[in-house]
Amino acid sequence: MIHFERFTLPNGLTVLFHKDVTTPLAVINTLYDVGARDESEEKTGFAHLFEHLMFGGSVNIPDFDAPLQLAGGESNAFTSNDITNYYNVLPAANIDTALWLESDRMLSLAFTPKSLEVQRNVVIEEFKQRYLNQPYGDVWLELRPLAFHTHPYKWCTIGKEISHIEEATMEDVKAFFGAHYHPANAILCIAGNFELEEIREKVTKWFGDIPEKLKPARILPAEPEQTEFREKIIERNVPTDAFYYAFKMAERRSDGYYFSDILSDCLGRDKSSRLYIALKKEQKLVSEIGAYISGDLDNGLLIISGKLNPGVTFDMLDKALWEALDELKKSPMEESELNRLMIKIRTAREFQEQGLLNRAMNLCYFELLGDANGINEEHLIYQAIQPAHLQESAIHLFRKENCSLLKVKSMTND
Amino acid sequence: MINRALAPELQTIKHIDFLKPRVFDVSQNVHLYWNENVLNDTSRVDLYFDAGTILGTIGVASFVNGLLLSGTKEHTSIEINESIDALGGFFESGVSNENAVISVYALKENMLPVLRIIRDAIHGASFPEHEVEELLIDRKQKFLVNMEKVNFLAQRAFQQRLFSESIYGRVSDVKDLDSISRQEIVAFHDEYYLNGLSKMVVVGDIGQDAVDQIIDLFGDWSHAHQPTFEKNIQNLRGTAHVVKDDAVQSAIRVGRMLFNKTHPDYLDFNILNTILGDYFGSRLMSNIREDKGYTYGIGTMMAELHASGYFLIATEVGKDVREATLVEIQKEIEILQNELVPEDELELVKNYLLGQLLKSADGPYSMTDLYLSVEPYNMDMDFYNKTIESINGITAERIQLLAKKYLNWSDMTIVSAG
Repeated sequence: MIHFERFTLPNGLTVLFHKDVTTPLAVINTLYDVGARDESEEKTGFAHLFEHLMFGGSVNIPDFDAPLQLAGGESNAFTSNDITNYYNVLPAANIDTALWLESDRMLSLAFTPKSLEVQRNVVIEEFKQRYLNQPYGDVWLELRPLAFHTHPYKWCTIGKEISHIEEATMEDVKAFFGAHYHPANAILCIAGNFELEEIREKVTKWFGDIPEKLKPARILPAEPEQTEFREKIIERNVPTDAFYYAFKMAERRSDGYYFSDILSDCLGRDKSSRLYIALKKEQKLVSEIGAYISGDLDNGLLIISGKLNPGVTFDMLDKALWEALDELKKSPMEESELNRLMIKIRTAREFQEQGLLNRAMNLCYFELLGDANGINEEHLIYQAIQPAHLQESAIHLFRKENCSLLKVKSMTND
Repeated sequence: MINRALAPELQTIKHIDFLKPRVFDVSQNVHLYWNENVLNDTSRVDLYFDAGTILGTIGVASFVNGLLLSGTKEHTSIEINESIDALGGFFESGVSNENAVISVYALKENMLPVLRIIRDAIHGASFPEHEVEELLIDRKQKFLVNMEKVNFLAQRAFQQRLFSESIYGRVSDVKDLDSISRQEIVAFHDEYYLNGLSKMVVVGDIGQDAVDQIIDLFGDWSHAHQPTFEKNIQNLRGTAHVVKDDAVQSAIRVGRMLFNKTHPDYLDFNILNTILGDYFGSRLMSNIREDKGYTYGIGTMMAELHASGYFLIATEVGKDVREATLVEIQKEIEILQNELVPEDELELVKNYLLGQLLKSADGPYSMTDLYLSVEPYNMDMDFYNKTIESINGITAERIQLLAKKYLNWSDMTIVSAG
């Protein structure tokens, strides 16, 4: 059970407070309800580039990191297709420093040309390091547009192409800030050994005078139901053939999301999973195989990916994989198998909740989903899941016309 | 109206409570360390073995580590994994040059049953032919994938030159994997796992009885004596480059052999290390990322071995700015040698380091890891009180002196790939 209190400032900022008497640290986590899905198709990679700029100084404070480090703290952030999340961890006694910095950059940024120029370069190097200069690094750049034709999930958080980042202008930056960075579009969570009243007073002091704006309406083009099997083959200078089967799955706030989560565990989370046993251990078709969900807020993907063993063809793999998927459709899972998946989920959650920062981030995320208390109720959703639900879900998910397949063919293998 | 231009007042950390885990004798020279101060149902058990890559024929250590749960006469690897997963257990194993560590994570009520399965699996490991073959194919594939990464290529070449003539500088190749024999696998497993346990760690509120049972379960694997570790390793100075034609970035490694926590300059040098490259506001990050935009990240670290240690600078940069980056790194080091660190920067780094230390001591898992990082050197939690003293007492003059003493460019091993 993760306890929390919630209050809202008159300017629309939602604040969560999680008390932990055992820690000498404070976490200040700020989630902005903006991600790569909110970008326009001609200017992708912007939410993430913007995240970098948030460290380039704010309206009253020239540098974000130095004052925080001087207070013994540190900070970082991440951007996904759905959200942008900033966090600060510092000694509890210096919490005001983090609130001062975080509130000032919510008020307004410094918008210096130098910061934009340098961070454009840094992000381009990040693009190269993570997507271009790694074997299989560009897979998501290929897979997303194959699986999504309309919804903005068709591009990666880093952006569709480097030129979009190169062309970002200061006007773009300012417009993006104006639209998305203000109290009504943020969820703040403070965790540490404090009293509620103390937190209310501090947050009001630092964030209370930030002007109120309307939360932007989000109207995203919906992805039409996929009606045909899609396949793309790319040839790369990689040592081994690799495959990525992407199945469209339900949105985050639906039961179907949880069914897909368990099905992906069942297929490829651990060394006792079905695909690992059938395709790797028994049939020796693959050197590695795994299944996971993308975890998106809107309709996302369940991915099955792996690498072929030498001498194995994509067709051999395809036949064996569909046989394993058909098993899930044909007969309901045994209770013992479901129990095994559940205890792993429960164990992983307990470990995750050990960390103060994880708790603060998750509270914000569940608040975005509708109610921070969802974090304490999620296990009930899992507990209610029956083998019949999973069978039904498998029948719906694992259809050829719901699948996009990316094959990476090794050029050195011929 | 609040004055936003004015920073809030700060408090400096004066004192941190460092809690040592409880110590139990397993044998004459093997101990179990137990931290029971975990508030939820999680628990972790680590087993340390003398099964590092400096032992045995090349490649065998990592190979045996990958085969620990590959099956016994009674159970297949699938059965073993299924029974661990049915208890919600997570099994991790890894090898470094000096030891191998197994970590098991489970809810506390499931820890003992999981450990029993693992004990039986490792004890009775029969290394089935098909499992050995399968791992061989997997490892070859992974190796080939790694050889496509400039980071891996640079690290590999760096390790060869840093440790030069020493056994630590040995790196394996695909052909080494083929030549590992069954006898070598069996012998290594017997010598360094079944007779190579060097320490055990328990984190979790699992109760005294469970701790006793863990000692009973694994105690008979205790090693008879500590292995000896090489001292006085000399790095090969100068520059080397590994060509990778299709790379869009180059990986860079610059470093030298240095010392570990037992050396009197260690703590102060760590402050210099932080200033140069070990935090977001470091000299190297400020120059090479935040001013020039050459890289997504650059960092320095101090790595420790049992009888020595080394210092390392690592980054990946645009291929066209590789030389420019090396010039800037050298420049930043020379500035530290020629000029005093300004007071405000030193103040910032001191506070930052104290804050990081507080964070490293937050929670039972982190606190235990703090202890584990000094225990190999026969030191105690008092090391961290000394760390606070070192931070509070450091001067700009001392930093400059250490930079002159230990960071001469001509002493460095410099490697790039890409």
